Amino acid sequence: MEKYCHPPSRTVEITILSGEDLRIDRRSIQKNAFVVVRCDANNFRTTEMDGEGGSYPKWNERLILDLPAHAQAVTLEVHCKTAFGNKVVGTASVPVSDFVGGYVPESYLHFLSYRLRDSRGVRNGIINISVKMKDPAAPQYSFSASASAAEQTTVGVPVGRSDNGVGVVTGVPVWCAYNSRNF
Amino acid sequence: MGGCFSDMKGGKQGIGGAEQRPTAMVANSSYGEGPNDAVEFFHRTRGQHPLFTQLELSLSASNLLDCDITSKSDPMAVVFAKKVDGKLEELGRTEVILNSLNPAWINKVAVSYQFETVKRLIFHVYDVDTKYHNIPVKMLNLKDQDFLGEATCVLSEIVTVQSRSLTVNLSNNNGRRGARNLGTLTIHAEETVASRSLVEIKFRCSNLENMDLFSKSDPFLRVSRIVETGGSIPICKTEVVDNDLNPTWKPLCLSMQQKKKIAWNEFEVDLFRKLQKSVAELERLHKERTGANFLLPSSKNGHEKVLKGQLFVDQFQEKLQFSFLDYISSGFELNFMVAVDFTASNGNPQDPTSLHHISPYGRLNSYQQAIMQVGEVIQFYDSDRRFPAWGFGGRKPDGTISHCFNLSANESAFEVEGVEGIMDAYARALHKVSLAGPTLFGQVIDRAAQIAGESLSHHSNKYYVLLIITDGVLTNFQETKDALVKASNLPLSVLIVGVGGADFTEMEILDADNGCRLESSTGRVATRDIVQFVPMRDVHSGQISAVQALLEELPGQFLTYVRSRDIKPSNLSAAQTSV
Repeated sequence: MEKYCHPPSRTVEITILSGEDLRIDRRSIQKNAFVVVRCDANNFRTTEMDGEGGSYPKWNERLILDLPAHAQAVTLEVHCKTAFGNKVVGTASVPVSDFVGGYVPESYLHFLSYRLRDSRGVRNGIINISVKMKDPAAPQYSFSASASAAEQTTVGVPVGRSDNGVGVVTGVPVWCAYNSRNF
Repeated sequence: MGGCFSDMKGGKQGIGGAEQRPTAMVANSSYGEGPNDAVEFFHRTRGQHPLFTQLELSLSASNLLDCDITSKSDPMAVVFAKKVDGKLEELGRTEVILNSLNPAWINKVAVSYQFETVKRLIFHVYDVDTKYHNIPVKMLNLKDQDFLGEATCVLSEIVTVQSRSLTVNLSNNNGRRGARNLGTLTIHAEETVASRSLVEIKFRCSNLENMDLFSKSDPFLRVSRIVETGGSIPICKTEVVDNDLNPTWKPLCLSMQQKKKIAWNEFEVDLFRKLQKSVAELERLHKERTGANFLLPSSKNGHEKVLKGQLFVDQFQEKLQFSFLDYISSGFELNFMVAVDFTASNGNPQDPTSLHHISPYGRLNSYQQAIMQVGEVIQFYDSDRRFPAWGFGGRKPDGTISHCFNLSANESAFEVEGVEGIMDAYARALHKVSLAGPTLFGQVIDRAAQIAGESLSHHSNKYYVLLIITDGVLTNFQETKDALVKASNLPLSVLIVGVGGADFTEMEILDADNGCRLESSTGRVATRDIVQFVPMRDVHSGQISAVQALLEELPGQFLTYVRSRDIKPSNLSAAQTSV
């Protein structure tokens, strides 16, 4: 598998904990929020949809990603599946420096929270996550562990997203496991 | 009973319960509302224990005034203590109960009871307008709410009644009781017993009767505790499940008061109907997977009608929850660090009005008083009594301005010994360093975060507290917020003590007590509240004990940190014998 040919690439464990006060067009969302964690365009993982929490969803879902050495930030996108398709509730950018380096031990469990902003840049809710770097000495080909859970998840990929705020977001189901099987 | 038919969105969340879920790193956690065992421990070790008891007040009201036209009032009660100068100090607020003129509030208000002082309590009841229902009660502006009446009593009046309950009439603002009957308020006081044992219960119901005309009922459960002296006190309620006659609620956490009699552990579950079970019976329902029928108390011949609706216990899990003292007594170390404001806004030290003026007659200046008073408390909790001590905003002898310099005479050693050490280093630094500016907290917070962060590599049982003594005039507010947000993930709290009479509005914002989490310029949000601000003028006015003011939030901040990481006291058996 090509990805692992670059030794500086590291594995990061991101647990998507919860969201707070999520809104679409100023209305609190009812249910079906999910989060896409993205290291780059093709390297992403998705949580299940939250069915109960409404605008305060709880996922508590651990996602394992391959963090490229050049990555500056990880993007969190909160989506919501509505009757009109998937909508992006808000996004947040997590600088890698928030959980790599600094004074703490490498494998410190970081609890981090970020302000979400919608496509127009308006403040929209908060997302709470925890992040832990996996031991770099032992590269893990561990995607199969998460693949069983991921197999049932359809991933919404926003297509044709325009930045002027009027673009319609279309949900295209993709089998998440497909990504981890292509080697 | 009030509050059973809520139809508004804002009142639908669950209330009460003994534990915040560890993953929900919410800043406005409920820990602060419980008893502060850190304060009690401080007093007890100094032989002052009998002078000081923590009580919690449960409030209920009846026949309140109806202010809403289409529905009933949505009442909330606020408790104040009347200070000697006549000013009111807010002690706490209940939640808002929707659509009820006879509310029994769940959220308790904690008060400390000192036998030798007369504590006059003032209770205000407000009708909270519908448009405010999604706002946390702490953030409500009381001036915007409709006033339903006030009542007053002396704390010892409640405590001396055998039932520990007192009912007082509500009157209008001017003290005289108007022609209209404004209803009554009942206050029940109980000693708070910190309990380590919790039980997490997940309830489910089946076949509930339909109460709504056009749709199905929107049920929630309210759990009350049976009190020894009779009657019951609501302690928590579940969230509302819309339109469902077979609802399952999120788990509730009930605290088990083991020191008290079994009667404490009897809970009453009331939905539309009632059910009374002890904890042991609930556990049996869980094991046998059977349901218990709700009862309808009948007015005729005292019989209770058995209803079709049943309650099931889907989950029953006993848990241990450790207190602040459990951690401290099992070897968890608190380490304090001190930073003193050397900015010019304090006034020229030669000038007697300066906060930094060193009196030739030995009178302590504001900073010295603060170091002495705060030092006494932190020295008690610090494990080695060695304090890193810094100054900020001063011009050093070489002419450079530093935002984090060592106070100690020896430039290479940043630690000083004991409160005396801080006092000496402070006085010496004042001679060498001239006051300058700007006032930036960022560098001392970063330095403290570095110490706290580096300690994690070799110790997991240390927690740090940075004490900043300042006149509170910040030059760059955002810079301080950024540093605090960055540090909010570490085993660190920041205690800001404000000296002098400046405007402390910015400090109050840093404290984040109104439920707003601090946000950095890059969009990161503080993981938890790590700041507490104490104005020194409150401490020496003698109204609140200095210890109480300084330690108010520390145990809660500490517990949020260790619980989120599932850190347990290292030596459990030692903890159990010592408390």
